[in-house]
Amino acid sequence: MSSASRFVTVKKFDRDFSKYLWGRTGNDTRAIPVRSLNVGLDDELVTFELKPKSEISQPGFFLFWTTAIKLRSYILFLFPLFYVVSKNFLLERFRDPVALAFALVAMMFIYAGLNIRNDIADHISGFDRVNIPTSLKPILLGWTTASRMSKVSWLLLIIGIVLAIPVVLLEPDEIKVLSVVVVLIVLGQFFKKNSYKEKISGEVILFLLIGMGVTSGFQEALGADIDRETLALGFFWGAAVLFLVHVNNFSHLLTSTQAGIKNTMTNLGFDRAKNFLMIWWGACLVIWFFFHWFYASSYLTWLSTLVLTFWSIPLFIKLSQIRSPLGSDLLKIRESAHKTFLIMVAIFFVENAWYIGTKLNWMP
Amino acid sequence: MAFKIYSEKDFPAYLPKLNQLYDELFSGGKGFRSKLVGMVANPLGIDAKTQLLLNQTIEFIHNASLLHDDLVDRSNLRRGKKAAWLKYTPEYAVLAGDYLLARVMMNLSSHGNIKLVQYTSQIISDLLEGEWLQDSIVGDFFVSVDQLDRVHNLKTASLFKWCLRAPFMAQDRYDENLHQVLEEMGTILGQLFQRGDDLLDFDIRNDEGKVLLGDLKSGYLNSFGAFISKNMTRPQIDQMIKSHTLDELISCFGSNPADAKMAFAAKVSEFDAINEKLIQLYLHHLSQLEKLINPSEMALIQNLKPLTEILYWRRKPSS
Repeated sequence: MSSASRFVTVKKFDRDFSKYLWGRTGNDTRAIPVRSLNVGLDDELVTFELKPKSEISQPGFFLFWTTAIKLRSYILFLFPLFYVVSKNFLLERFRDPVALAFALVAMMFIYAGLNIRNDIADHISGFDRVNIPTSLKPILLGWTTASRMSKVSWLLLIIGIVLAIPVVLLEPDEIKVLSVVVVLIVLGQFFKKNSYKEKISGEVILFLLIGMGVTSGFQEALGADIDRETLALGFFWGAAVLFLVHVNNFSHLLTSTQAGIKNTMTNLGFDRAKNFLMIWWGACLVIWFFFHWFYASSYLTWLSTLVLTFWSIPLFIKLSQIRSPLGSDLLKIRESAHKTFLIMVAIFFVENAWYIGTKLNWMP
Repeated sequence: MAFKIYSEKDFPAYLPKLNQLYDELFSGGKGFRSKLVGMVANPLGIDAKTQLLLNQTIEFIHNASLLHDDLVDRSNLRRGKKAAWLKYTPEYAVLAGDYLLARVMMNLSSHGNIKLVQYTSQIISDLLEGEWLQDSIVGDFFVSVDQLDRVHNLKTASLFKWCLRAPFMAQDRYDENLHQVLEEMGTILGQLFQRGDDLLDFDIRNDEGKVLLGDLKSGYLNSFGAFISKNMTRPQIDQMIKSHTLDELISCFGSNPADAKMAFAAKVSEFDAINEKLIQLYLHHLSQLEKLINPSEMALIQNLKPLTEILYWRRKPSS
């Protein structure tokens, strides 16, 4: 094979377009997209490098799977679970640990499946081909193929759904939450273009699913009824997670705009988007305060709000000072946003651990 | 050899200093972009008048960008001479650049090809966006090569794309496949040219004697600078930024000068290997182009084939 023949260029309506994009090129070769033109349009043109599998450095088992299922983002549903469990433990409403265990394991499988599907959607839509990668992308790196990961994701989703059946049998009210979640996902399929991150309606659905959907689901699974605190937590959590989504979209603002991708950040443009992010996180702090005002002690409300606000200062400074939609400051803002988010989770965790410790007489 | 693409009658003689400014600006250039237009236009059999129009268009746009660029970057020298904004005032430099762009639109619209006018306007917009973005990252010494590629695609590659596509447009040839391939080729040529140019800053294949570390000293980390600093520690980057000479910069790679030199050379080889792959991609698109042009136009392939040698390796083609 000559050096030039290692590349192949295909158009969207070419017969081989999906073959290369889905990676159906045999066991020994990987088709890695190196250039994409007119992404998302009818005249999309992608050039693939046909690389022998032996030339691609393969990661270890652990790195591959933790990257593929985005293990680091599991905190996005594990923390609401912790909060809901500790709250109901404190209120002595934790009635069904079996159903909750099934719900947790089911959620882990479903979340893994959805994360993989999200990566596939990004790959097929071109989102990951036009934007500068900020994390490892197994399909883009040629570690695996979209086709193979699609099968894995369906398997994970099916296992997750099967594991969720006992939850519904043990806690029939769970069906109410699941119905809403299913309706939202179906609606999302109509509204979204390629990914929930790409459309404003998709962002709202994501906010509802990862927020109130998760907290209510766990609340029902452990045998308690949905209450205002659960919904308030879901509302706050959805807003905080959506902040991270906006920050991520902000870091791709230039490339996404060039590729015609529509989301809140690209709609606002650079200057207004950075103000929007500051306002959004400021609003999160206000919600945090009122959430604590209603559901925590006055002492913790003020202390936790002050600590979180203090930790948010570097983020606000970085956002106000950023002057380019390219460059290293974007990465610094992403890091700062993630750190601030983790601090918020840590404060929440310490608060709840304190309450539990007090109830169990662990505290002096 | 002095390169002049216009006649003195092209610009009003009653405007003080305008012709003198242009004479100085254009006389030092190699006119590579108009030569590139010729490499495409000749095999297509484009008449001399249209070719002159295309040559003028690309050179006017390029030189307008230089006038503005020097002012934005506060560069004192252009082609070894005092920059126009210093010699003639910033106001004249801006106006002279604007005037060239206005002439481009005037000349092109007289040709009557609205698609070519539209495409040229798009290229000028891209160029300005690239300038704007580049200015926004001055002083950012942690910028990545990927990010710089986005700037160079707008600022540098846009003109290369124009050189390849405009002659076909001038012939009313708008085949989508053809233009997509040319677009890709122009992008790669622009990227290779920029990266080759960025290497000169570090005295790599610097036969034209470009001033060393010019970009770095102006607070701009170019593509090779971004590449070598990728895995550097903060103190190493600080040391690199403060380097006044190439030896000082190379010493960032180790305390032993011989080892540091070897590490630097290894980085150059690594960078070359990445760009060699880009060259392979260019050749792939060239083979695609071969299928999209008429048999009588095959000289175009021969003309375009050696460009990577000239633009990246900065050497005359071997064959």
